[in-house]
Amino acid sequence: MEETSLGADIDDWFIESLKIYTDLHVFELQEPTQVIEWTAEKSICVAGYSTTKSNEILQLLLPQKLFAKNNQGLCPERDFKVDHGGFSEDPVNCLKHISGTRCVVSSGAPGSKLQIWQIGEDDRDIIKLTGCIELKSSSNKRCKIASGAACILHGSELRDIQITELASGRVLYTMESESSDLVSSLQFVDANVFLVCTEGGDLCLHDVRVPSALQHSHVVEQGAAYWCMGLKSGPCLSDAASCRVARLSSSGQLVVSDLRDTRGPSCRAQLTIQHSAPCCDFMNVTWAPALDDHLAVSGFDGTVHIYDTTA
Amino acid sequence: MAYFTKQSALYTLLVRYKSIQEKTFLKVNIRHAPSKILFHTERESGTRGLPVVHHSKYVCDLPPDHRFPMGKFPRVLHFLIKDQVITDKQIWMPNLASEELLGCVHTKEYLDNFINGKIEEKEQRRTGFPWSEGLVRRCRYETGGTVLAVEIAWRRGLACSTAGGTHHAFPGYGAGFCLLNDLAVAAKHWTGTSTPRRKVLIVDLDVHQGDGTAFIFREDPDVFTFSVHCGNNFPVRKQQGDLDISMDVGVEDKEYLATVQTHLPGLLESFRPDLVLYDAGVDPHWRDELGKLRLTDQGLYQRDLYVIDAVVKRGIPVATVVGGGYSRDIDSLAIRHSIVHRAATQVWKQQGL
Repeated sequence: MEETSLGADIDDWFIESLKIYTDLHVFELQEPTQVIEWTAEKSICVAGYSTTKSNEILQLLLPQKLFAKNNQGLCPERDFKVDHGGFSEDPVNCLKHISGTRCVVSSGAPGSKLQIWQIGEDDRDIIKLTGCIELKSSSNKRCKIASGAACILHGSELRDIQITELASGRVLYTMESESSDLVSSLQFVDANVFLVCTEGGDLCLHDVRVPSALQHSHVVEQGAAYWCMGLKSGPCLSDAASCRVARLSSSGQLVVSDLRDTRGPSCRAQLTIQHSAPCCDFMNVTWAPALDDHLAVSGFDGTVHIYDTTA
Repeated sequence: MAYFTKQSALYTLLVRYKSIQEKTFLKVNIRHAPSKILFHTERESGTRGLPVVHHSKYVCDLPPDHRFPMGKFPRVLHFLIKDQVITDKQIWMPNLASEELLGCVHTKEYLDNFINGKIEEKEQRRTGFPWSEGLVRRCRYETGGTVLAVEIAWRRGLACSTAGGTHHAFPGYGAGFCLLNDLAVAAKHWTGTSTPRRKVLIVDLDVHQGDGTAFIFREDPDVFTFSVHCGNNFPVRKQQGDLDISMDVGVEDKEYLATVQTHLPGLLESFRPDLVLYDAGVDPHWRDELGKLRLTDQGLYQRDLYVIDAVVKRGIPVATVVGGGYSRDIDSLAIRHSIVHRAATQVWKQQGL
């Protein structure tokens, strides 16, 4: 009965979407994925997250149809095309592309090492495991990762956050913290500054050149179980318009803060979102790359909600 | 049977060999008394070509930028005439399908709500159409067109509508751009209530499963629903027809045609229909915006030619509808929809109908 109801909902959504959107492109992947990461202008990387079998890690080429403004009907290629592929024995819960390279880094099962993959080495169509990054300490929590210039920022708790150089495996930086607060998201702001959001919703802005200057800001909300963050991409600390971070709670609370001063939020809203699943693995908030002040929230009810933070 | 043979022969005699400016043709079916079947048709006399059913009111106004390609219906006829596939003498105009006729499939409550504009907003969203009187009118003419195509096919062996194929409509609600199930109404009406009932095979080659039709005839042994569709296309929630063939995404001409050729002859031999209703949807085409198969123009033509010829050469009448097709290039879409009429014309000539 539940499957029938879901099918009916999908059908209703499809017909409604045909009316609402100028273009509607519907694609199906062979296996479900928890990650989708741009690796080039026209390619993405996805991977499975099964804990009971091997998972494919695939680089897919976007169909021509998505790039054709007019005459989309003339594009013969309408589906994603597998360009490179490989297998991971571990589930892939986080995947990041290293900019300027053909490398991606993945993290999976709690306590497992980070895996470094090379896409298409020696011009072959294989995604090959080429190395691992040992974690500072074994943890029963999943390690979160973020990519920097030829390095990876990673950690599962505040006290085990590190920056590791990709090529040599050398640890470039270790965060000095005793806190066991769990990491929900982390991201480089620039080459020397990174931002961490804990599962409890706290933000930590850290400059590797001045470790003692750590900024810590708390979010107060009762009953919220889990928080994640989205950093407006390409921020420059001197450009007020780009210095913003959005934090999202599993209860639908959204907090937008100025990166120059994370202590007080710029704005706050309670989103009206249906919660259909207790799992927060898919919860996500991201800023629109081209639309100023717009962000997307997903992971609650199977849909993506787009908000204008100035409204 | 002898009555119908005689009646058919008499009709043929009157039409073919006597110059008649016919305004109405009243036919009383004694076998189905006290029911009467009345068809009011307007048709030029003397035509011997493929009957094509069309009405200018197959269209209605829609909001600007609405995705449904309403403009395709008159364009289908336009291209058939422009390319001299048919002449206007071959055109038959249906009447509006009556509530009584529609009531053989649709519930009274639904018809009352639909005709009188009492469909709730949520239901309207499910159909993809905002309600209007024009919408009701065009759906009823479209259904009338399919019913007329069946009647003509029974008389002449083959007939084609320039619309039809609204197979997602259920008895109590519409869905997926379908508000009245024309195939079901035509089949239900034509099979009638006599004993033995006439049998209809519905061959639905639209890329979307004919879920409404499958549901309506799920327990009717005299109507067989055969659908070849893409499993990954709408609807996700599929019904169980009598024979459903689910194709994978990206299937091309050769495999598709082989699939149809594998199943159709056996169905014709085993089910032995008295008439075939053929939904020749063009949304399996690679340029269709919604369909996920990759048929070409030639593939569609070969498909339609095969189906129509396979049925006609067995002496079984066939009525065709255009089915689904989605593209913002209305003219290309209309030309694609006219493929079935071109194939039917070819069979008409080859079989000497």
